[in-house]
Amino acid sequence: MSETWLISGSPGCGKTSWILDTFKNHQGSCGYIRLKGFSEIDLEQAVSSKIDFNYLKDQIPELLDLNSSNLALITSKENPLIIIELPQFKVPELYGLNGIDLRVLKELEDLKLKPNKYLHFGRDPELQIKDTLNFKNIESYNLELKKSIWDPASLNTFWFELVNGAYGDVYRAKALMNLPDGRYIFFNWILSQQGSQYLTLNNVAPLNGRPERHSEIVIQGNKIDFDLIKSTIQNCLLNDSVLELHQASLRDSQLQTA
Amino acid sequence: MIERWALISGLKGDLDTYELIQKDLKKTPGNITLFVLGDMIGPSKNCNALLKRLINPKSNELRPQCIYGWWEEQLLAETGYRGNQRAEALRINKGEEVVKSLLSSVDESFLNWLASLQFGFVELDCGLMHGSSRDVGDDLTSETPPLTLLDRLTRLQVNRLFTARSTKQFHLQLKKGIIDSEVCDLRGNRKQEQKVPQKAVIGIGAGKNYTLYDVGTDNTQFVQAGYKSEKIIKGF
Amino acid sequence: MKQAVISCLHANLPAVEAVLKDIELQGITNITCLGDLVGYGPQPNEVIELIRDKRISTCQGCWDEDVVDGLDACDCSYPSQLAEKRGHIAHQWTTDQLTKENKDFLAKLPYSIRKDKCLFVHGSPNSQHEYLLPDMDAFAALERVETARAETLFCGHTHQPYIRELANGSIAVKVKNADSKDIQEKEMDLPMRRIVNAGSVGEPRHGGTKATYVVYDENTNEVKIREVEYDVELTCKAIIKAGLPQIFAWRLRNGFEFAEQAEDASHVCER
Repeated sequence: MSETWLISGSPGCGKTSWILDTFKNHQGSCGYIRLKGFSEIDLEQAVSSKIDFNYLKDQIPELLDLNSSNLALITSKENPLIIIELPQFKVPELYGLNGIDLRVLKELEDLKLKPNKYLHFGRDPELQIKDTLNFKNIESYNLELKKSIWDPASLNTFWFELVNGAYGDVYRAKALMNLPDGRYIFFNWILSQQGSQYLTLNNVAPLNGRPERHSEIVIQGNKIDFDLIKSTIQNCLLNDSVLELHQASLRDSQLQTA
Repeated sequence: MIERWALISGLKGDLDTYELIQKDLKKTPGNITLFVLGDMIGPSKNCNALLKRLINPKSNELRPQCIYGWWEEQLLAETGYRGNQRAEALRINKGEEVVKSLLSSVDESFLNWLASLQFGFVELDCGLMHGSSRDVGDDLTSETPPLTLLDRLTRLQVNRLFTARSTKQFHLQLKKGIIDSEVCDLRGNRKQEQKVPQKAVIGIGAGKNYTLYDVGTDNTQFVQAGYKSEKIIKGF
Repeated sequence: MKQAVISCLHANLPAVEAVLKDIELQGITNITCLGDLVGYGPQPNEVIELIRDKRISTCQGCWDEDVVDGLDACDCSYPSQLAEKRGHIAHQWTTDQLTKENKDFLAKLPYSIRKDKCLFVHGSPNSQHEYLLPDMDAFAALERVETARAETLFCGHTHQPYIRELANGSIAVKVKNADSKDIQEKEMDLPMRRIVNAGSVGEPRHGGTKATYVVYDENTNEVKIREVEYDVELTCKAIIKAGLPQIFAWRLRNGFEFAEQAEDASHVCER
């Protein structure tokens, strides 16, 4: 018998962290899918982002992506747990499965997913929120950064500027970034929490060019100058010759160490 | 097997001395890496034969790892490899005639190879430079103020600095030392006592005088090509 | 007799005017400026002309040199690629704005000024681009002052004001020369020296918005760091109006200049 849970909540409420903990504690196979959610008036959902899945997959390598038709595969395994993540600002009017938004139900039907449990962060006692952001207006932006590699010092400066309001009032920022030494960094920031979370993921790219893995930044907030963000990011990314210079010297030092 | 470095410099086109050193090294036990710390060229001799040999060693010779020195720097500057700079240091110190002699002692076909050479090597915790990381012409000797030597080691973040510019063979060990520092800024006052780290500067000599360094034991040996070597100096 | 030392004005006229006023209110007439009159800020000509009019003895900063000679600094002068790209925009804008007369003035500034036992430089005696940070290796710091044959070295460039005293130093060495059989042991005392960083008038990097400079009392040998409030918003508006990167205004307004500071004090620009 497979367990299929639908978990909803507003941006930064802790959905992904909770899901990671739940999967880590689960004895059996795990499957995950993130729905894109629906925007409300003045409250724009983050555009469909693969950051969460890539982060979870890095931490739990055997995690199945249900976006890639793995449903049959997971249900055939022992003790499967499927978690469907749904970004949603609005608290559902009804408790339990009856509270699922009709638009979401339709989407789940198309995906052949049938939840047997539905919980919303901040409402259901199992999903407590430490802090709730009361958003009045929220804009969402994302920028694909696949094959982009950051100058580490520039990334440091840009992130400092971003979360300190240089490009508008940012409430939430999440990213997966590539560094020239092959590191893959998960960034997670929310206005109401102190400081940014930086996590170096397990995935390490070889020192020979640009990795194919997912890289993206998602920003949510108010009065955000996204054009300025994009042009600033362009100034932080390494061109081919500078990247080769970095990687050649790292390859040399690895050889020496070996 | 014992890991040894042979450090030579200041050949200034002298192929005979280079061959003598290679002959010496064949008789020296251990796994030897040969470093040439610049001044392969000079104004007094035609340097082409030596350069040719350094680039294409004989099959039974050690292959040298070369960096450029003060004389290479002058030649590269004079031939336009250093932007708008010219060999002014040489011109002022030795005159126009010597600049011309230098130009005529190296065939143009070697310039690209000379220009491709590095400023120095950092191997393990050792810096191998012609002068120092401050300047290729940095003339460090055992009489140089220790504060200056310590600065050169600090810049390169190494524990041993092998230098060739002075042409002298010496081993100077920073044994001990201390300094008090007090900083006052907008955050307040902070005091710190800093000790001199155990570091050394080694002058490797020039021409027939070269140095052997035993990587495993940190021993330095000053050698004259064709003669019995100096007593081994322990890394104090 | 007291003298004021100012540095890194960075074309921020309201800040320069406020600092000069503060100096005047203390009755100090002897002022030395450690350069970087221009760069980042929106009023390069106005700041140069004010310094010229007041005949303030000034040495050349790295920005003053670069706008005259073209960009000479290697990448190491910038803490990041982003900082470098922004710096280049500011460099081009400043070069376009400066009058010929003011460029000539910057070109003729000396690298250093010596007054008795004090040496005044922009970065370090080695280079206008070298940062002498407050916590750099104490022996390396002492070497800078000692090599320059000074007792007190006044510098700027880091935009962080500080006074650093280096005292009670000694070094012992053991020397073997190939031409001698003896091993010599020597121990020497190091002289007491001081480095004074004047901070920055126009682009402070101490975590606040106030302009900073120092006052040196020749009679008591004391140095004091002074902080001066000025109309930051006036400068920020002028930055935006001039079309300079708006991030410069944001940093100035929030006292976030510290976010971009060089970390490698031991590195020396070789160009």
